Amino acid sequence: MTTTTIGIEKRIVITAALFVLTLTGVIAMSVKVFGFGLPTCLTDVRPFRDGKVITQAPKRYEIHYLARMWRFEPADISIPPGSTADIYLSTADVTHGMQIVGTNINLMAVPGAVNYARVKFDQAGEYLVVCNEYCGIEHHQMAARIHVTDRAAAPPPPPVVAAALGGQELLDKYACTACHSLDGSPMPGPTFKGLFGSKRTLADGTIAVADDAYLLESIEKPNAKTVKGFDPVMPETTIPPAEMRAIVQFIKTVK
Amino acid sequence: MKSAVQPYSRTDVEPGLTKIILFEIVFPMILLILGITMGLLQVLFRAGIIKSQSFLGINYYQGLTLHGAINAIVFTTFFAVAFGHAVIRFYTGKPLLLGAAWWSLILMTVGTIMAAIPMLTGSASVLYTFYPPLKAHPAFYIGLVLLVIGSWVAFFSWIPVFQKWKRENPGTKMPLAVLGVFATFIVWFIATIPVAIEIIVLLIPWSLGWTQTVNVPLARMLFWFFGHPLVYFWLLPAYVMYYTMLPKLTGGKLYSDFAGRFTFMWLIAFSAPIGIHHQYTEPGISTTWKFVHAFFTMLVAIPSLVTAFTLAASMEHGARKSGGTGLFGWWKKLPWLDTDRWMFAYLFCGLFIFIFGGITGIINASYSLDNVVHNTAWMPAHFHQTVAGPVFLAFIGGSLLLLSTLGGKEIALKRLNVWIPYLWTLGIMVFSTGLFIGGIAGEPRRTNMGLSYTNPASPLYQPSWNVARVAGTIGGVIMFLTMLLYFVIFFGTLLRKKTSEGVLELPVTEPYHDEDIVALQSLRPWLVSTVILLIVAYTMPFVELAKARYEGAPRYSPASPVALRK
Repeated sequence: MTTTTIGIEKRIVITAALFVLTLTGVIAMSVKVFGFGLPTCLTDVRPFRDGKVITQAPKRYEIHYLARMWRFEPADISIPPGSTADIYLSTADVTHGMQIVGTNINLMAVPGAVNYARVKFDQAGEYLVVCNEYCGIEHHQMAARIHVTDRAAAPPPPPVVAAALGGQELLDKYACTACHSLDGSPMPGPTFKGLFGSKRTLADGTIAVADDAYLLESIEKPNAKTVKGFDPVMPETTIPPAEMRAIVQFIKTVK
Repeated sequence: MKSAVQPYSRTDVEPGLTKIILFEIVFPMILLILGITMGLLQVLFRAGIIKSQSFLGINYYQGLTLHGAINAIVFTTFFAVAFGHAVIRFYTGKPLLLGAAWWSLILMTVGTIMAAIPMLTGSASVLYTFYPPLKAHPAFYIGLVLLVIGSWVAFFSWIPVFQKWKRENPGTKMPLAVLGVFATFIVWFIATIPVAIEIIVLLIPWSLGWTQTVNVPLARMLFWFFGHPLVYFWLLPAYVMYYTMLPKLTGGKLYSDFAGRFTFMWLIAFSAPIGIHHQYTEPGISTTWKFVHAFFTMLVAIPSLVTAFTLAASMEHGARKSGGTGLFGWWKKLPWLDTDRWMFAYLFCGLFIFIFGGITGIINASYSLDNVVHNTAWMPAHFHQTVAGPVFLAFIGGSLLLLSTLGGKEIALKRLNVWIPYLWTLGIMVFSTGLFIGGIAGEPRRTNMGLSYTNPASPLYQPSWNVARVAGTIGGVIMFLTMLLYFVIFFGTLLRKKTSEGVLELPVTEPYHDEDIVALQSLRPWLVSTVILLIVAYTMPFVELAKARYEGAPRYSPASPVALRK
């Protein structure tokens, strides 16, 4: 059966087109009238290598987030409710994502470029910041927090964990095992196997014994002593003392 | 239930082509066993049921790479080529260029094996989107290139066959199925040029250490120039089955031939100039061009809306011809559990899932709404309602159809087979509902959450995401079990004795309204429009990237925060 009437088909195409044009109009209105925007192309901000919070005025902040495998710097921020923050995002290594859960802030950190968004924190509370783009084998540990609290000047609350986690979990939490093996296999950093009590030949030719003090220093100020054959590339850490001791206790058991 | 309708038409096929098609169906199906198993592991890892980096020696992110690469790239490409061979052979009635078909098969198979080895040994855990500066083993990139070139060879070999048919049949419209297959591969060809540039010019020399850095914003724009038309390459063979098989399976005709041709032509034009809607949250692209791509993305929804109407009308026509009456009563006359017309269930269930996949796709494309869902678990939920819904069901159904008819074998466990799509739909809907809810709550995609967000022992534990992960896990397990049953049917059929000579049997649908619209008679104006749209959509974004001169990124292994020296 053939027919030349295409009345119904035409109407369907026109209805579908009107539907999507209406949606486009609603989107355009949300941008123009309500200001729901997207990040744009910034070319006047060079990629930075340090994360920091700059207070511009009361309740006005500029936050420079540096994403890196596998943490955000700064990791803990406290600001008062009602604060407006200009967020700049850069990466030290690979591509990352940054979502402040519970807000509309969802940014990609792309090597070579800086991303930007503005956010106002009206509600007090603790905001989780997650990396939501795959960035390597410890991607799932990459997160930070923003504390929106009236005690904004106070230092961030102590980490929930204290040393509740065992040494091995802490190695995972801080992604130590990304560079240090437990079984002697070669990785970017020295293996933990048989490390405690061993003699270490340093880059300058001197010899140090890997005792408690040496290990604690190597966690806190990793590049104070560099073992021969390795690069001084490990970033400084801000691991609480209790957790550092738990890590050292664990390293002692890796034989 | 036995059907009164005999929906199939037959064509004899040369033994060589039969061998090629059967290999291209069976080989990826074997790999799919691994791909599906990795899918099960993903939900167990994410739910915290497996709390470790690895299971059975396979790291979470390695398994995720295998799941995406096998299911979404290898299985789909092989099926599209096998299906294309079958459709072109069937509708032109002409023998294909077997030499080219063999070369296509060899290139695709060698490429797949080359890419699989680094994935299996853990030196390409970069996910199937392979974003630099995470670096995979060079064999991974080279293997992908060979797979793509193999599929091009098949496409180019169909063109002279079709031209011969055209010369012998002047004044006859191009069969709708042939148009659909050509649309599939035109979209694929457009898509794979930018990704070939990304891989060959940027990534392979960089992964081999010949160049030291890579321009990541440029690589990403080239990737998404490929990444969106890629999804239409997946979807179009399913559309071909919807338009040319589904109405016949219900006992009716295609409501409108115009709708089918309009859909295929429109998808050629609008599938590619919209890739930046994957990059809404990125720096380096101005909001003006993000909005242009958002607008074009809305336009690409039109053919899907038209398709939904046309197919519903076609099914109603079939059901009423089979004696259905009433406003909704005709639904009872559709061949829901008909073991002869079992393909109906595979196609219908896919369409049902696609209602939700399509709506969530429009949400994702809606510019600033993407801020809420970008890179969250919402995305794989949408993805499983599109590529793992209509596409996957059409492809596994199509694989079984080609296997049984070309192989001359009865389908094993026929009564179970017709239930597979319903079980799969249940699994997909439960899984996706969980991931949609989790995504809105901020749950990230592609994350081994069992070690952090779903682990009560972790400082990052998020108990509010629990409902979502339970639903996601239940749905994932249902999907896995369904696929086990499917594999029993598929390989059971393969191992059966031949009961008849293998012939190609496809349901062939006639049009109900067979209009001849001038604008849809030739591909040429649509191809010209496609090129113009691509120039409009991408010239300025590339100029913006070039002007900004982003500093390059060195190579990184996914396992270390220290850049690789070589």
